[in-house]
Amino acid sequence: MKPVLVIGGGISGVTTAVEIAEVGKEVILIEKEPYFGGNVVKFNNYFPKLCPPTCGLEINFRRIKQNSKIKYFTSTEVQEISGEKGDFKVKIKTAPQYVKNNCTSCGKCIEVCPEERPSDFNYGFTKTKAIYLPHEMAFPYKFNIDDEYCKKELCNKCVEVCEYNAIDLSAKKEFAELEVSSIVVSTGWKNYDASKIENLNYLTSKNIITNVEFERFIASNGVGENKLLRLSDNSEPKKIAFVQCAGSRDENHLPYCSAVCCSASLKHALTIQELYPESEIKIFYIDMRVVGRNEDFLVKVQNNKNIELVKGKVGKINETENNNLILEAEDILSGRKIIYEAEMVVLATGIVPSDLGLDLLKESNGFHNIDQKYGIYVAGCGKKPMDVSASVKDATAVALKAIQIN
Amino acid sequence: MIEVKPDIEFKKQLKRISNSSLNECMQCGTCSVVCSLAPDDKPFPRKEMIWAGWGLKDKLIGNTDIWLCHQCGECSTYCPRGVKPADVFSAVRELSYQHYAKPKFLGKILNDPKWLAVAILIPVLIISAILFMAGTLQIPEGPVNYSKFFPHAWLNISFTFLWLLSMGLGILGLRNFLSDMKKQNPEIKPTGSFLKNLFSIRKEIILHSNFNTCSAQKTRKTTHLLVFYGFILLLFVTVFAIYAAVTHKYPLAITNPFKIIGNIAAIMLFAGLAIMIANRIFNKKDFGNSTYTDWLLLISLFLLTVSGVIVEAARFLNWGSAYHLYFFHLICVWFIIIYLPFTKFGHLLFRVVAMVFASSINRKLK
Repeated sequence: MKPVLVIGGGISGVTTAVEIAEVGKEVILIEKEPYFGGNVVKFNNYFPKLCPPTCGLEINFRRIKQNSKIKYFTSTEVQEISGEKGDFKVKIKTAPQYVKNNCTSCGKCIEVCPEERPSDFNYGFTKTKAIYLPHEMAFPYKFNIDDEYCKKELCNKCVEVCEYNAIDLSAKKEFAELEVSSIVVSTGWKNYDASKIENLNYLTSKNIITNVEFERFIASNGVGENKLLRLSDNSEPKKIAFVQCAGSRDENHLPYCSAVCCSASLKHALTIQELYPESEIKIFYIDMRVVGRNEDFLVKVQNNKNIELVKGKVGKINETENNNLILEAEDILSGRKIIYEAEMVVLATGIVPSDLGLDLLKESNGFHNIDQKYGIYVAGCGKKPMDVSASVKDATAVALKAIQIN
Repeated sequence: MIEVKPDIEFKKQLKRISNSSLNECMQCGTCSVVCSLAPDDKPFPRKEMIWAGWGLKDKLIGNTDIWLCHQCGECSTYCPRGVKPADVFSAVRELSYQHYAKPKFLGKILNDPKWLAVAILIPVLIISAILFMAGTLQIPEGPVNYSKFFPHAWLNISFTFLWLLSMGLGILGLRNFLSDMKKQNPEIKPTGSFLKNLFSIRKEIILHSNFNTCSAQKTRKTTHLLVFYGFILLLFVTVFAIYAAVTHKYPLAITNPFKIIGNIAAIMLFAGLAIMIANRIFNKKDFGNSTYTDWLLLISLFLLTVSGVIVEAARFLNWGSAYHLYFFHLICVWFIIIYLPFTKFGHLLFRVVAMVFASSINRKLK
């Protein structure tokens, strides 16, 4: 019996793989990053219980480790899919594995490595060495070498210092062909490129960040290490504004609602209030779209006198000389223009489905939804914008479909 | 409780003219913020968009803000729903000319292509009738002399009479417009006389400073200034010509200073109109939806300018077809001047009255 292939090891892919394996079917899980966990692992905390992501993911990672039915590959991408339902042939490519699996993550190599790279995990706001641990809770827990920044044999310092002989700088790309019965595409999402929203001046103002960047700013293992810091002067801002629908529900950008950004901003506002109870927060919105149990956050925010919800989309942001930000919106309820000076602005950018680069059927706006007759299924945010709990439910449902194909 | 009186017929007309799907507006207010003119208190065009969606004719016709907009189109560019507030404003203005037209049928025939032939036929018949009464309804012999075809006394008297009649009708409409604007702002008492407020907005009229903020369409200020001053200069030269016809040797020589000013003004008009027309054809993205009313004004002004220059040349060169061309030119002049309050040319009156009213209630643009 052929295994199921799961492409993408974020919360949806990991869940799908675990669910499939636990009913006794073989599954292959591949991930293009050197670690599993996707976007969720970068969050400070997630809905609905505001757990840190390491909590929920760690259980799943243990389920993967303990289950011999799951084979997993990181730094691996799909090159080509051929064949049909029940009999797919999939060519995959794995980036050179310079660090072998016997790495113990002792960290001696980091001490000697002379090269630095911007940390992709922290969206480039911090730096790591060219040899680095993706993050503290990384699974697989092993070091990785950034091809672009490492000087390889010209330097060779890490190889010399490694006591376990775990580094091989001559490693090459690896190619393989898999035979699988069905495929689950769980390639997830990235956030919308805020620089495209020219009237919001994201690129030119250091103190305007996106919501996903905010997660890394506030996370204990992130940029500010549990402090919220402004990039311009490292001060802790006390007046923070959230700009909802930064690109979403906008024909010029993303014509759809990204479904999670309202909840996310409410969560962020409450997080700031916990850290800095005296801070002043304004959330500018078109409509507050908060569904299900997340509505409790809305009630909490409404009861918090330091957080103000302003009905009106921000149409303009200009930077002042001291790097504060002047936001302009029309307060729809009073019919007056609001001009508010904030010390930091968070843009609630929306969800863009990742492009797998394969010739799959695409629904509108880049989201995939592939019919069952193809034997290929989409789980999670590649299908439509959804939060973690919805992704997990969707992944479980897709697992049930995928195992029925032999 | 707020009573809402939707006018479905009005909404249908708005939709048709503006080509906007009014109800897709989600009232986010981006338009009010990106507008470079909207005041901080009750900015436009967001509030007008919800009135348009509800078909609230009473709120839109007789609304001051509709006429403070300079149609730069930034609102349409940034609108997340593509509902084109700029085009909706333009459509409300078009419907306003019809609404305030007295008699009503003039508003109708001048804003509907179906009635274009009738609209042209009226000045043709009036001019022919006057020529018939003057006894000159035939092509004169000898070198070209337009006064043989249309004697100056007949021309000046009949034209002045019809112009005064049309302005009188226009003023009736404007009075209703002004009273509607007052009704819509019951809480503010206007201060200052009409002339005093007109004086206070002189700078804007003379310099067109509100056009400066139009970033999307940089040429608009220049072209409007060219057409505006070209037209005023020609009007000035025409008034002088009426006077000169009595006191001087007429027609004036080509080297006469007034003739020179007239020719420069014609070039200004021609250049301004040509760019305006080209922009509307080739840059639809920035210049928005062009309606029948937009084209009627631009094309009639363009034909007026071109035929004026040709008629002048025909006189100097003694062309055989000079009188036919002159007849055509006269139709253009009468069409534009007599119909002024009922076509888009009426913006000259409506916009000034709205700006004067805004000044009287101290509604200032940003």
